[in-house]
Amino acid sequence: MSFFSDILRLIGTPDLWHASLQYAALLLLPALGGVISERSGVVNIAMEGMMLTGAFFAVAVDLAVHNVFIAVLGAMIAGGLMASIHAVVSIRYRADQIVSGVAINIFAAGITVFLLNRFYGLADVGQVASSNALPNWNVPLLGQIPFLGRVFFQQNVMVYVAIIVLVLTQVVLFRTRLGLRLRSVGEHPQAADTAGINVYVLRYGAVITSGLLSGLAGAFLSIGIANTFVPGMTDGRGYIALAAMIFGKWTPIGAFIATLIFGFGQAIYDANSSIHISPYLLSMTPYLLTLVVLAAVVRRSSPPAADGIPYVPGAE
Amino acid sequence: MAAAAKRSARQEPPQIVKGLRRTGRALAVPARSVLLAFVVGAVIVAVTGGDPFKAYQALACGGFGLFCFGGEPSVLQLANTLVVVTPLIMAGIAVALPFRAGMFNIGAEGQLIMGAIAATTVGIHFAGWPAFVLLPFVLLAGALGGAVWGGIVGVLKAVTGAHEVVTTIMLNFVAQWFLRFLIIGGPLQLPGGSSKSSPIGTSAQLATLVPHNNQLFLGLPGAVYRAHTGLFVALAAAAVFAFLLWRTSLGYEIRAVGQSQRAARYGGISVRKTLVTSMLIAGAFAGLAGAVQIAGVDHNLTDQYFTDTTGFDAIAVALLGLNSAVGIILSAILFGALHAGGSVMQSDAGVSGNLVYVLQALILFSIAANFLRGFKLRLPSPGRVPETPAADAMASAVAQEADIELAGDDKDTA
Repeated sequence: MSFFSDILRLIGTPDLWHASLQYAALLLLPALGGVISERSGVVNIAMEGMMLTGAFFAVAVDLAVHNVFIAVLGAMIAGGLMASIHAVVSIRYRADQIVSGVAINIFAAGITVFLLNRFYGLADVGQVASSNALPNWNVPLLGQIPFLGRVFFQQNVMVYVAIIVLVLTQVVLFRTRLGLRLRSVGEHPQAADTAGINVYVLRYGAVITSGLLSGLAGAFLSIGIANTFVPGMTDGRGYIALAAMIFGKWTPIGAFIATLIFGFGQAIYDANSSIHISPYLLSMTPYLLTLVVLAAVVRRSSPPAADGIPYVPGAE
Repeated sequence: MAAAAKRSARQEPPQIVKGLRRTGRALAVPARSVLLAFVVGAVIVAVTGGDPFKAYQALACGGFGLFCFGGEPSVLQLANTLVVVTPLIMAGIAVALPFRAGMFNIGAEGQLIMGAIAATTVGIHFAGWPAFVLLPFVLLAGALGGAVWGGIVGVLKAVTGAHEVVTTIMLNFVAQWFLRFLIIGGPLQLPGGSSKSSPIGTSAQLATLVPHNNQLFLGLPGAVYRAHTGLFVALAAAAVFAFLLWRTSLGYEIRAVGQSQRAARYGGISVRKTLVTSMLIAGAFAGLAGAVQIAGVDHNLTDQYFTDTTGFDAIAVALLGLNSAVGIILSAILFGALHAGGSVMQSDAGVSGNLVYVLQALILFSIAANFLRGFKLRLPSPGRVPETPAADAMASAVAQEADIELAGDDKDTA
């Protein structure tokens, strides 16, 4: 029972909720990328790899130019480039999108350590100076509110960015012509094509956007939280983002709710020193939850109709 | 008619030539993919200031014992490669079998871990049993552990329609965290040790190919050669896989479901049952790989299994091997050599061993996209509609293989 009393005690602290929101934002960016990509009809299980590449290049660029903006830009470009490989292979060459996604993840794991060894030897990359890291931003006045101020308004800038991206994604996807077109391409590309929509352009755009967002999340992880790069540091977060996307039934808001749940789990895990349960068993919960959701509500959570199917003009 | 038949009969090349041609065509896509990957890999090495020739020489030395100019013992390199090849063959089958049924098993890693856990548990608890009982029991336990993990995926797919790619990814993580739980402060942890389990009993261990006694073998102590008799288990598994796929009604059903679920259903095949069965069997093969790894080399669970990638490498093995038994053995040898050679490349040529993963990814891209198909056929032949994409996540490699065979048949009958 001590487990539950520990949890209850933790819930009363703003730090737990602060950490939950931070981890949720970290997962939210790639999850939104996944939503955008899959809504356009391209299956994307490569957020893990794109995030890892972003994390590496954020640190590498930051150490080289000592400028956090350029570092974030570098991370986004790196993520976008990885995504464009996925896009070319699965849209232009109509390859199996899951094979391509697996390949991206393997490629990212390999190339980051390859470059790490090449440019930094077998030693560590080194620490990014906190003056060049992504800063926290205490919102004036709002940050002073007891409890809630700590939770919502004393966060890393990237948390605010993630929330803005969430709102933008939701609005663009469901309230604009572009969003309607994107969704139609993911549901019925033949019909969209007939209506004069360029299926390929939208799909390329969507996949590359998912890479930009995953790269951004990678930068958040490496120069916002850890301030260094460690091989394989994303540690499955891209896959949890994938789970969040499915959990949230391919909607931005749903994905956000899922990342909040997973972020809460991560925050509890981080506070494990004050919990009397194996942290390893606790770490299973996001994955088990996803399995349960898939098993229980799968009929109500189906992917876009043309998700994973390469578009061949003229073929039905 | 008769004249035409006679003429075609005369022009018909002998069976063996046809067979060779067909093999050549089947090998064309994998061979081109590997070639392209190595060329791009060389470019990456050169661009980052390394020497690609030296890198590949060291890779060949570490992988196959060839071109070992630095005096490295060739047979030892080969033995190290065999250690990697052994689980890759079985894990490759675990990916290939569901592919044949139209499913993508990304969960070989989790199934392998569960197999290793089950095998270790049995190997520790029944350590006193004689080898001729315990060893089969250990391998069987591993296969069962993997089968359960694979079976969950099959049941979820059959009952709720949950996509196997997602469920396998999730189960991989569950297995990894379960392993951590077991050996870090959990019930399997070696008393007083950290991040490892107690060793399995000696009678639960597979014999090594070179006896581990105090005698020298080719100038080195026998104990440095870690290659073990699990290799024969792997080869037997490949034979079982081939037999199952091509000589049993279950294999026919698996292939039928993979070709078209609808057609299979009209043919009276229970699609759900076939999906579940193929995932059960696939899990068993992956679990066996884990058990063989424990019984053959590691003898206990260690933190190596946290970062093990055999189950993911198996995806490349299966795809490059075109999901056939012989192909899997060949591509397992290639990838085994790459992985075993990576460390030699790092020490001899100063090129990061992680280039191997880059090469593996490039091979995957290349085989999935078939970039170089334009080399042979500039344009699709007129009148031939581009193949309609299958709705499910079937491996394009399977489609390509079918394509090759079809193209071959066209030519033969023309």
